[in-house]
Parts: sequence; C-alpha cells; structure tokens
Amino acid sequence: MSYKKNEDLDSGPGGSVMDKMTVFQDCIAGFNSSPIQPRRCRVLLTKLTYLLSTGDTFARDESTTLFFSITKLFQHKDIALRQMVYLVIKELAKNADDVIMVTSSIMKDTTVSSDVVYRPNAIRTLARIIDASTIQAIERLMKTAVVDKHPIVSTAALVSSYHLLPVSRDVVRRWTNETQETVLAQKMFPQYGGASGMSGPAPSYMTQYHALGLLYQLRSHDRMALVKMIQQFSGAGGSLRSPAAVVMLIRFVARVIDEDRNMRRPMNSLLVGWLKHKSDMVNFEAAKTILEMKDVTDEEATPAIAVLQLFLSSPRFVSRFAAIRILNRFAMVRPQNVNVCNIDIESLINDSNRSIATYAITTLLKTGNEASVDRLMKQITGFMNDISDEFKIIVVDAIRSLCLKFPAKQASMLSFLSGVLRDEGGYEFKRAVIEAMFDLIKFVPESKEDALSYLCEFIEDCEFTKLAVRVLHLLGEEGPGTKHPTKYIRYIYNRVVLENSIVRAAAVTALSKFSLIEDESVQASVKVLLTRCLDDPDDEVRDRAAMALRLATVPTPVAKSYLAPDSVPSLGALEQQLIMYVTGGPDAASVAFDISTVPFLTRDQVDADNFRAKVSSTMPVIGSSMDGSGAGSGAGAGAGGKGSPSAGGAASSSSGAGAHEDKTQMYAAALAKIPELQEFGAVMRSSNVAALTESETEYEVRCVKHLYKAHLVLQFDIENTLKDTVLEDVSVIATPSEDTFEEQFIVTLPKLEPESQGTVYVAFTRPEGEYETVSFSSTLHFISKELDPSTGVPDDTGYEDEYQVEDVELGVGDFLVPTYIGNFQHMWDTLPYEASETYGLEGVNGLTEACESVISSLSLQPLEGSELPLQAATHVLKLFGRTVQGGKVSALVRMAYSAKNGVTLKITAKSEEEVVAPMVAAAIA
Amino acid sequence: MSSWFSRLYEYILSLFWSSEMDITLLGLQNAGKTSLLRVLGGGDFTSDSIPTIGFSMKRVRKGRVTIKCWDLGGQPRFRSMWERYCKGVNAILFIVDSADPATLQVARMEFEALVSKPSLEGIPVLVLGNKNDLPDAYDVDAIIDVMNLKSVDDREVSCYSISAKENVNVDAVLNWLVSKSN
Ligand SMILES: Nc1nc2c(ncn2[C@@H]2O[C@H](COP(=O)(O)OP(=O)(O)OP(=O)(O)O)[C@@H](O)[C@H]2O)c(=O)[nH]1
Ligand SMILES: [Mg+2]
Repeated sequence: MSYKKNEDLDSGPGGSVMDKMTVFQDCIAGFNSSPIQPRRCRVLLTKLTYLLSTGDTFARDESTTLFFSITKLFQHKDIALRQMVYLVIKELAKNADDVIMVTSSIMKDTTVSSDVVYRPNAIRTLARIIDASTIQAIERLMKTAVVDKHPIVSTAALVSSYHLLPVSRDVVRRWTNETQETVLAQKMFPQYGGASGMSGPAPSYMTQYHALGLLYQLRSHDRMALVKMIQQFSGAGGSLRSPAAVVMLIRFVARVIDEDRNMRRPMNSLLVGWLKHKSDMVNFEAAKTILEMKDVTDEEATPAIAVLQLFLSSPRFVSRFAAIRILNRFAMVRPQNVNVCNIDIESLINDSNRSIATYAITTLLKTGNEASVDRLMKQITGFMNDISDEFKIIVVDAIRSLCLKFPAKQASMLSFLSGVLRDEGGYEFKRAVIEAMFDLIKFVPESKEDALSYLCEFIEDCEFTKLAVRVLHLLGEEGPGTKHPTKYIRYIYNRVVLENSIVRAAAVTALSKFSLIEDESVQASVKVLLTRCLDDPDDEVRDRAAMALRLATVPTPVAKSYLAPDSVPSLGALEQQLIMYVTGGPDAASVAFDISTVPFLTRDQVDADNFRAKVSSTMPVIGSSMDGSGAGSGAGAGAGGKGSPSAGGAASSSSGAGAHEDKTQMYAAALAKIPELQEFGAVMRSSNVAALTESETEYEVRCVKHLYKAHLVLQFDIENTLKDTVLEDVSVIATPSEDTFEEQFIVTLPKLEPESQGTVYVAFTRPEGEYETVSFSSTLHFISKELDPSTGVPDDTGYEDEYQVEDVELGVGDFLVPTYIGNFQHMWDTLPYEASETYGLEGVNGLTEACESVISSLSLQPLEGSELPLQAATHVLKLFGRTVQGGKVSALVRMAYSAKNGVTLKITAKSEEEVVAPMVAAAIA
Repeated sequence: MSSWFSRLYEYILSLFWSSEMDITLLGLQNAGKTSLLRVLGGGDFTSDSIPTIGFSMKRVRKGRVTIKCWDLGGQPRFRSMWERYCKGVNAILFIVDSADPATLQVARMEFEALVSKPSLEGIPVLVLGNKNDLPDAYDVDAIIDVMNLKSVDDREVSCYSISAKENVNVDAVLNWLVSKSN
C-alpha cells in the first residue's frame, strides 16, 4: 500500500480553515457508512483531534452523537484506525454522555489473545471511561494486565490504575499483590533494545518505576507498610533496577524521616548507601534528601557533601549543575558545612555554563565568612561586566539577602551596589539594584545616609522614569528624618527643573514632605520652591504644588495626616473593595466609596509584613515541614506535652505578608455582619487557626480567637463531613477555667447541611487591660438528623448529641503581635523591665524545631535571620514584638542541644510594660 | 506478485458474490445473548460468560454472507441505547430466558416499546426463547403468547425455541438471518 500525499488533509492541520460543523457532519456520515473505509475515517478522526486539541469544543449532545458514531468503528480491525479511535475516545470521554457503552468492546481488545498493539491503548482508554459502578467488571482484566509479561501492557495498566484511584480506591487496592509482583519482575523495555544494533531508547526498567509509584499510593496511608516496603526494596541485592524507581524510593524515605524521628537513623544509613549507587541521579537525590533533613548533624551532612564535591569537577554539565545547585541551597542555611568545597566552587566561577557560574558565585557569597565577603565582592566586580543582565540580577539578589544576614557588611555591599548602579544595564537589572538598596535602608538603618546619597546620584542621570519616581518617593519618606535634610531638597528640586512631568510631579510630592520639618528656614525655602512649581506647564504638577502650599497653612497634625500618615490602608483590601465598588452596578455607585471599610495598617505592621515577605522570598524552604510549620497560637504548641495533640499544634501558619493581610480582612468582614459584636469595638488581634479535632473525623472543628479591648470572641468553624446527616441548632458550650471570663452570648448555627461548613461564635468578657490567660473546655451541641437514603429528606425526629473537642487555649502569644525592628541591640538596651527563665525541652530534637516551637508559642518576630540555627549545638534566637496594647516586648533565647539532654533553653525577656517580661519568660512552661 | 494478484481476484469476486449485513441482539440481562453469539460464530458454549457492559461487536460468516452482530447489554441502564444501534440493521434478534418466567413480563414491555419506535419500522424481528434445555422452560407457543407476538402486524416476526448451551436450533437461527440479507 502506498501512502501518497493526502489531499483530504490539506484543509486541515497546517492548512487553511477547517470548519467545525463541516468536520462534524463529515464524521457522522463517514463513521456510519457501510462498509467502513478505514483511511477515510482516519483522516476524519485526525481532523477531529486537531480541532479538539486546538481548543475547539463540541456541545454535549454533539459530542455524544460523535462518540456513538465512533463506536461503530469498532467493527473494523485496521490497527491504525483503532489507535486513532482510542485517541479520540479519550478526548471525547470527558464531554459526552453514556461513554460507558464502549466498555465491553474495549475489554475485548485488552485480552491476552488480542494484538499487543491494541492492548495498552485499550487499557488506557478503559481507565477514562469506567465509573464506580462498573469498575468491578474490569478488576480481573486489570490484574492480569498488571502482571502481563509485556512491559508496555503492564505499564499501561499501572498508570491507568493511578487514574482509577479517584474512581474507587478500594477496588484498585485489591491488585496490590499484582503490583508488588511487578516491581520485582524486572521487565526490561524495549525487550531486545540495544542487542539488535538498532538505534532507539536504551532499555530501561520503567515498569518498576510505575509499579512502585502505584504501590506507594496504595500504602501511603499506612506508615508501617511504607517502612516495610522501603526495607524490602532497598534490601541487599537491590531488586530495583530502574534508577528512577530508586529516586522515588528515596522520596518515600524522606517522608518517613520527616514524620518519624525514630526512623531517622536506619533510614539515613540507607541514604548513605545510595550515595555510592552507580547511577548519578540516585546519588543526587540521596545527597539532597540528607541535606534537607531537619537539623541535619555535621556527621550526617559530611558524606553527602563529599559526594557532591566530587561531582563539582565532573566533565558533564548536568552533574556539575545538579551538585552546585544542591550545595547552593544548603549553603543558605548551613554555610559553614559547605566551606570545604570552596576551592572546587571557586574553579566553577568561570564555568562556560553560566547557570553553573552564577550558582557558584552566589554559593561562595554564603559560605564565605565576613572576611571573604570583601574578596568575593572584588572578584565579582570583575566578573559583572562579562555576564548578561539576567545573571547580574541573580548576583544582586544574592547580595541583597547577604545584607539582611550580615548587617555589619553593609558598607562594602553598598559600595558594590552603587558601583554596579553606575554600570550599563536594562530596567530589570537597575530595578534589582534599587530594590536591594531600599532593603538596606529599611532593614539596616546604619546604611541609610550613604545609601540615600547614592540614590540621589543615581537619579541625576536616570533613564527610567519609574525608578526615578520610586527613588523620589523614598527620599520624601526618609529625607526629612536625616541629619542634613536640606542636602536632599537640592537634589529633589533639580528634578523639578530637568525632568518629564511624571518625575516632576513625584518630586513635588517628595518636596512637600520636607515642609513638616520643624525648622522655619527649611519651611521657608520649601515654600519658595513649591511656589515656583505653580507655574509648571503640567496640571498635575501644579495641583500637587498648590495642595502642598495649602497644607503649609493648616495645623501640623492635619498636614501630617496628609503628608506622612501614621497608618496606611491595607492595599490588598483597598483594591478588593474598590473592585467591588466599581463592579457593584448603579446601587453601589449611588453612594460615595466608604474608605472606613478598608482596614488600616500601622507602619510597624507594614514593615513586619514586608520583612517577612522579603526573608521568605530569599530563603529556601528546607524540608517540607518548614512551610506551614506548626506555628499555631496558644500555649505549648510542640513543646507542650507528650502524646496529646495540643491546641495549637495542628494549626498552619500563614507565611508572607499577603496571606496575613487577607486573613485579617476576611475575619473583619465576617465579624462585621454580627450586630452584637459591634459594641465591643475593634478587634485587637485575631489568632491563627487551631484545629480542635483530628482530621478525618465526623465533625472537624477549628477555632480562631478574636481579642477585643474587654472581650474575647471564639470563632468555631465546624465542618460536617458526614454524607447523610444534617445537624440542627448547632452551638458550642465553652467553659472557661478562670471565672474572670464571663460568657456573654452564643451565635448559634440553625442548620449545618451534610458535607458543609458553618461558624458558631461564643463571646466572653475578659479583664480589661490585663493579659490573663485561660483555657476553655469545649463541647459541640446539636440535633442530628439522618437523611432518608432514597429521598434525601431528613428525618422529622432527630436526636440530641454532643461532641467533645480539644480545649481552646488563650496563651501569652495571643496578646503579642510580631513586629519588625531594624536595630535589635539598641531597642534591647532601652527596655526597662527584665525577667528570665530556664527550661529543658523534652521530645524536641534539635534547635530548628526548638526555634519553631518558641516562635510559634510566643508569637514574636524573629530578627536577624536568627530563626534558622547555623550550628547544631548552640544558638541565640532574637525576638521582638508588641503587646496588643502597643508596648514593646523583646526576648533573647539562648539554646543548647545535645543528643543526651535534648534542648535546654534560657529565655530572657524585656519589656516596656512591667507585667509583660515575666509573663513572656514563663510562657513556654 | 501472485499473492497480490490472487488477493485482487478474491476482492473482485467478493464484490459480486459476498454480502454484508448488520443485526442486533437485544433482550434483558442474563437472557443469553452473548452466549448465543459465541455459539453462532462456531465457538464453544461457556457457562462463565460475563455481563456485557455497553456493546460488543462480532462478525459471523455463513457461506458468502458476513453478518456483523451488535451484541448489546441488557441491563436497564443500557436499554435506552438499543435504538441507536438498531437503526438501519437488517434484522433484530430479541432473546428471552424461557426458563425464567418472572422476567418475561418486563421482556414483553421492552419488546413492545422497541417495535413501536418509528425509526425501526419494518425491521424483521426474530424472538428467541433461549435455555430450552432447562426444566420447565416455556415452549414456542407459550413464548408467542406471553410476548403477545400475534399483535405485531407491521413487520415480519418469527419465534423459535432454542438452547445456546445444547446447540438446539442455532442453525435455524443462522439460516433465518441469512435469509434477511439482501
Ligand atoms: N442452561 C443454559 N444457560 C445458558 C444458556 N445460554 C446462556 N446461559 C447462561 O446464562 C447466563 C447469562 O448469559 P449471557 O450470554 O452472558 O447473557 P447476556 O444476555 O449476554 O447478558 P447481558 O450481557 O448482561 O445482557 C450465563 O451464565 C450463561 O452461561 C442456555 O442455553 N442454557
Ligand atoms: Mg452479554
């Protein structure tokens, strides 16, 4: 048979227009005609796949009609046609009705007697059309296919089983034994690859990889089974031939290590074994996993680093890249362990592969001690001119995070930054440098004056309007507070004379902020300059100048509220409210926008949020447990006690500024809807969410504590996970342990539908102005009504029921708000009251865990990167925050770890309010 | 070369001499459709036949006639789909389990619904009382009676009593089918 060029297709792929309706009509006619013409049908199916894959869709009834006419093609045995049929069925199955109709036809193609070309296609298609009511019918077939001697059949069955898990996990679980057998069977594919001398993929044992993955899915809920599985497959003789499968096994190992401390030693010895595996991808995965273990000890890390060090001088790009990348990540948290590789890393600085070179430099920046920073900086300065903007940005970012970690090095970093700022470069690069300088100014106060002068110099000759505007804004914010404000006035005014209107307007605004300086001569000269701006050709510039001049005539507090307000609206919330206002239709537009609905943040809060966002964007996440670490509120999270899940333990922390803001805003909106709460005033602090039940229970309850001036509101979010039960009159009885707390009222939930969520609020009075802690024993009360399975209507008569949940703890941390401050030592020296306590923490393994637990129970802001211990044995954690009343509070936590004694820590707390220091020092107990 | 030639020869011959026809096998679940089809195709009867999910297609050859048999699932959820596969067929086989009287009322209702479909007008139907090897199986007359076949007057309706298991009257079914090819 010859395949001449096919005219039919010319109107299709690669060709001109293909009309959807024409294709539809042609398909219906073509597929229903008798006898079947396989080639014509194939062309039609190709057109159809083309349409579907380029985004065209058919209406449901059209899809169904198409689907059924395609099922007629099962009468033809042409192999190529049948493969096309399978392709199209998989596409259409999502969008057509009654696709189950092809089940028996497809099943015929999966039998051992049918051609091996059909079988994998048929199996994969089957997984797409089967539903929970028919999955039993294919059970036997799938089992046989999983253990089939042909790897492509076996793999198709294994991969399809993954897709069947959501359909019915229980049924798939029944072929666990077959799956297990397949891991061990070591099927090679292609079977005779290589030997025949034909080119093609090298033979692999991919089936093992797929089987192992499925086995994990089937067993992952059961830690013991998982551990057994790891032991079995990692055992001597190494039944796993596929490197990909070993890599996957290593990931399981990582999970076990993370979840179970006792398994760490045996699992780690497996990892060490894999460091010597003959496949480099296995070596890398093992090394990476070792280095990502929480609180990895020096002894554990050393062999992994040694292996990576060897790869640094590998002739292959990928190996060097993989090695330096892992080391780079590790260097962020444990630079001193990576030191030993410095010589090898230095030789990579000039690697012809720039990704490798860039990683090498940024790694060295971290591993170097303070002394070597200068030397490296010099080295990079020579290097900077040879690399593209994109790599310059990576370098600048590395330096930026260095600034935050080594504030003492600010001078040389600043001169480096100002140097590169003078170099040629595009917008993104310049922006990165500017950002880095802004950070220095904000977070390393000593550098402020110098950095501002560099920026002044920069805007003298800056081709990017956006950047000039940002710098001018910063000058307006920071300039008035410096020793020689007049110096900046000159620079700013120069812009008014020389720049385009956008920059001029920004300059006028910046200028106006200097009029707040209490020095008449300064005020007078600002006034003169602003008056000159009234002649500007641009409206906006004139308006701003006029506004500023007018503000100079009003009382200072009023002027200040315009020029340098103490609090700013939460931008996320403002944007959302504005969007709602603009899209709200005529009703919303009939009244003015109400700015009071937008929450305002103080400068402290904004700074703390920004700092958090900065740190988390420049720090790697080491170990999966680090994100959303159990930073719950309430006393005793983690450090609490043995066994019992403490109230705060299961909570997830919100990382980054955005999440924090969104949450406050979300709560505020919900609380505003409850009239009884309005007289309590504003919420002072909302806690993190604490889970009061284990997950996957009948009713899942979570609690948020809202602190008011003289009240406390407990918000219970209740989830009814039952499919067939409605809850009515849902309330929570919360009994305080202290009688200074008095219940005010309960906002109950009239009805909680099956598989839905609702909220109950319980309000208490609390001793005003005090920091009294308390715990509430809480019980859910409700009337439970079952649904009639046939009608779905609830029974008339339910029964009363109650459900005990974990206690809610109002701890010391609930009265504290994490706050950022630039100069820890200075602040520490000024605080008047001091107290300290010493503890031994049992059941805490290592300093990272201890830090997490202290930070979460105190709810204070870690400073100077001290939340990540650099040494395994000793560490000092520096914390700062404010009480809900606004008083400063700070804590210095010295900790030591030894395998024998666990973690010992001494908290020294200082505060502005007398009662706070002893309270914080005692909070961990 | 010669094999190519002989294939062409066969092909040309087939244009004149052979013919293809489509038929559907309908009836409630467990009536024995799939079993009968296996026997019609010359296969051996097996007692562990699994229920048909949707449909399956099988070719049966008798002399110069190729019969494409569309075997449909009889479970209630598939019955609404029967009509799609019956449009334009040469004949319909409607199979009932003659040894299970409890199912015959439902079978009759489904049958009546089928023959009243305008799109299937005039298509000849052969009703088969299967499993006549079992004790107390209804005979032909009883089937004609319960199925109310006498009332159908707009098409050809025949009725046989058969056994797929014991191969009783299977040849007769085949001959009836071939007689419907054009
Ligand atoms: N004794 C006896 N049993 C039969 C005969 N024909 C079929 N069976 C049995 O009846 C049962 C159902 O047969 P199937 O052929 O699967 O029935 P079906 O009509 O295809 O059923 P669905 O596919 O679900 O619509 C099987 O256990 C067969 O062994 C027969 O002639 N005599
Ligand atoms: Mg059947």
